[in-house]
Amino acid sequence: MTLGAEPPAPGTRSLREDRERMADIEPGDMAYQLEEGLGRENLAGMPEDGEAQLAPGVEPQARSQWQLFRRRFVRHRMAMVSLVVLIILIVLCFGATWIAPFPKNNQDLLSGSLSPSRHHLFGTDRIGRDELTEVLYAGQVSLAIGLAVAFIATVVGAVLGSLAGFYRGWTDQLVMRVTDLFLVIPQLVVLAIAIRAIGQTTSTIALILAALFWMYIARVVRGQVLSIREKEFVEAARACGASPFRIITRHIMPNIIGPIMVNATLAVAGAIIAESTLSFLGLGVQPPATSWGNMLSDAEGVVGTPQAYLLYFPGLLIFITVMAVNFLGDGLRDAFDPQSHD
Amino acid sequence: MSDTQPAGAYVEVDPTTGPAGKAERRPKSAVGFDAGDDPNAPLLEVKDLSVEFKTEDGQVKAVQNLTYTLHARETLGIVGESGSGKTVSSMAVLGLLPKKAVVTGEVLFRGRNLLTMSERERQTIRGRRIAMVFQDALAALNPVFKVGDQIAEAINVHADETIGTDDERVIELLNLVGIPNPKDRASQYPHEFSGGMRQRAMIAMSIANDPDVIIADEPTTALDVTIQAQVLEVFERIQDRTNSAILLITHDLGVVAGVTDRILVMYAGRQVEMGSVDDVFYEPSHPYAQGLLASLPRLDRRRDGERLYRIKGQPPSMIHLPPGCAFNPRCPVAEVGVCDVTRPELVEVSPDHRSACHFAAEVRVGTRAVVT
Amino acid sequence: MASFIIRRLLYSLIVLLVASFVAFAGVRAAFDPLAKFATVKDQEVKHRETVRLGLDKPIYIQYKNFIVKFVQGDWGTSDSTRESVASMIQRSMGKTLQLIIPGIIISLVAAIGLGVYSAVKQYSVGDYVFTTASFVGIAMPPFWFGLLAIEFLAIRSKDLLGLKQNPFYFVGLHSGNGNSIDADYARHLVLPVLTLTVQLIAGWSRFQRAAMLDVLSADYVRTAKAKGVPRRRVIMHHAFRNALIPLVTVVALDAGALFGGLIITEQIFSIAGMGRLFVGSLTNGDAPVLAAWTIVAASFVIIFNLFADVAYGVLDPRVRLS
Repeated sequence: MTLGAEPPAPGTRSLREDRERMADIEPGDMAYQLEEGLGRENLAGMPEDGEAQLAPGVEPQARSQWQLFRRRFVRHRMAMVSLVVLIILIVLCFGATWIAPFPKNNQDLLSGSLSPSRHHLFGTDRIGRDELTEVLYAGQVSLAIGLAVAFIATVVGAVLGSLAGFYRGWTDQLVMRVTDLFLVIPQLVVLAIAIRAIGQTTSTIALILAALFWMYIARVVRGQVLSIREKEFVEAARACGASPFRIITRHIMPNIIGPIMVNATLAVAGAIIAESTLSFLGLGVQPPATSWGNMLSDAEGVVGTPQAYLLYFPGLLIFITVMAVNFLGDGLRDAFDPQSHD
Repeated sequence: MSDTQPAGAYVEVDPTTGPAGKAERRPKSAVGFDAGDDPNAPLLEVKDLSVEFKTEDGQVKAVQNLTYTLHARETLGIVGESGSGKTVSSMAVLGLLPKKAVVTGEVLFRGRNLLTMSERERQTIRGRRIAMVFQDALAALNPVFKVGDQIAEAINVHADETIGTDDERVIELLNLVGIPNPKDRASQYPHEFSGGMRQRAMIAMSIANDPDVIIADEPTTALDVTIQAQVLEVFERIQDRTNSAILLITHDLGVVAGVTDRILVMYAGRQVEMGSVDDVFYEPSHPYAQGLLASLPRLDRRRDGERLYRIKGQPPSMIHLPPGCAFNPRCPVAEVGVCDVTRPELVEVSPDHRSACHFAAEVRVGTRAVVT
Repeated sequence: MASFIIRRLLYSLIVLLVASFVAFAGVRAAFDPLAKFATVKDQEVKHRETVRLGLDKPIYIQYKNFIVKFVQGDWGTSDSTRESVASMIQRSMGKTLQLIIPGIIISLVAAIGLGVYSAVKQYSVGDYVFTTASFVGIAMPPFWFGLLAIEFLAIRSKDLLGLKQNPFYFVGLHSGNGNSIDADYARHLVLPVLTLTVQLIAGWSRFQRAAMLDVLSADYVRTAKAKGVPRRRVIMHHAFRNALIPLVTVVALDAGALFGGLIITEQIFSIAGMGRLFVGSLTNGDAPVLAAWTIVAASFVIIFNLFADVAYGVLDPRVRLS
């Protein structure tokens, strides 16, 4: 509902985590937790950990963090599929120059308003431009904005959130109050007014979106840092004389990289939807630049007409992208911590 | 097991013990038995109980061929480390394991097999004839309901009428377990109680219907040592009143020594030794039991400069159990060709004292020295 | 508990005040009230307007004047329609409420039902279907769904089902000038409310499912079973009551956001509610309306946030006493 990055509150499991369990677990049973333990850790001396006694002939396998992570991630089928889908999408869109069947903005009034066919897979619009081509080029903008916003927002949010969580005091207060403020004012309003005030180019839109999104990430990171900094190993590091910078980068960060990554993917999805919403309202990317959002906005008028097909494809691509990104986030969450409830 | 009464902490309620007195408090039947009970059968008979789980890494054999009998007023301690199967076995008795657990064998409660009963029938037994007390009372009590409500629920679920938090029976139960100001306490929430008090409240909940058997799963593990003693004393006290049998599951040998009549030692899902407390403590007949006892720090056997004895190695994987005896890889007196080939059966080393070791008799008298 | 509420209330008021300033200043920065005088050559006119609108004073003074009048109920007049802003907002809010109220009620009931069912019957076919559906619902861009709903459920279905008219309407809330609550009204309501509920149900049911799963694996549920409590009561009394706590928070927060958040839906279905008012004022650069609108929307968010906090305290005794 909200643009996605306020952490799913306690108890949100991942789809995959649930599916991987065996059928029919009765709730509330200690043995289920026992089995969880057995499946994961050293409760019964699993071969990977410690010096458990094995039946002769069974070789223990050492696994690094990274390998465990990869193993768990790969098991999440939907996440793997989504990764592939996203890669394909990125390749197709950014390679539009070579892949698209027609040049961009190829107006051919003789081929106007054709339904999807073999020649024009997605049909053509009123002035004869091939929809497939347009969609691919528009994808460049939408995806670029999505990725850029997520990247900037994550970096800024992670830094500010860590500082707030680590130092507390007025840094924390400042960050919290500012984010409180902008969480209260409806997002679209903030975005709309900012865009009106600053400008409506692709870059400014991306920057404005990032300026809003970092706040969600900062809050999440702050929360994570707050909980980690209480842990003994941080105390131990401090007792060894480690500098705050070292503590943050070498001790805290690696432990929160999981939720950061997950929220980064949510931010991608959120940014894409936000951009398309803005474009839909006329506040987004301006022609001649096209994005999926403003293609949909143009298509608003074709509802109920034979050209309704113009409606399907940009929306479908947004939908697919967001789905894939969500699954990816799910898989990442699972890979970082299969038992996580955050 | 005497009845020690902390001064002023609770009021003596109904002094009658014994079958007649008990019967007056039993909600459903007059004599202390349900229809279908076999009055001649022992209270609880576990025969060849085995529990297996299917996991993504393989088949976990959590419990294998567990067999014991429990009689009224008896306290049996089931001892073992984490993962030995002691908790799983007791959950199996009450049918609290997930559906994917494969449970075989028999659990006869007064002659009726709990494992083959319908779920509905089992529900009438849970909390009324067989009750369970769990380890972490803070987690085991519902945080959003008052303690008195939860105790009342234990009664209401098995009765026709519905009593409330302030019913005298609830207050009486809280009193019985030594909770001061029971009337106020009943209206409070679990997080307002201290650890020891919470545990007592759980005990109160479990005895609400005068059960025949109380299964206590590590009831003192989460508590301070001083509180542990108090809680154990509560168990003794209620057992006096209700004549229930207690199945006490723990990994703490000290707890077992003070409170139980008989012990059953488990290792890797199997029972390795069984007998009276005295028998097992003074004449342990299994290398594992000997090792456990030897590793206890003791004031009277201190040898300066010596380290504490410890059993080498780690418990085995419950999926890939070693062939033959499960303890073999860690056993100082194991014999190749015997211990790694055949799984030892329980043999009687003295009256009512059994051990699952090929060399049980020798281990018992010391000709096979486990600890040197 | 009382002190907790009072503290939160005070904090909320401060946030509201600051938010109103930000809104005011933001709108002022984005929309120049003198824009329409840009082409006027007569400086005298410009100067007069500047003084009249108080634009020569510092922003703080301007804000002070504005907020003083605001709390007294004078929200100014619209630059474009000359109508009282207060009455415009009131009217729009009325329309939006007609979507929000049924939307929330239906979504809440459905989400709880689906969530509980999914959690209790985990791994069943039903669970799998609902979980997938909720993933779809979350990923679905609302405006796309709305347009597709119009296309297929309203327009195409007429031919497919051989009806004389579109089964559902998608322009406004009433045909013509009607005002009554009747079948016509219902046919207008269905699609926009559907668009709204799809999003809400997708999110909430997923949340409820997760909360239930969490709770169902809790120790106290195991204790209840061990007491002999029948399964039904274990789920509805013990488990659900605990799962309700985080759910109420989420629902309250989302609900609060709805008052300023139905912009797309109202746009698509041509409903003259708050969302449409916002878009219209944005297009026209109607600063007074925008400023008041933002403050009203923010107020709802804050009120519902407060409500979420209080509800949490009511539902969770552990919080109450700290």
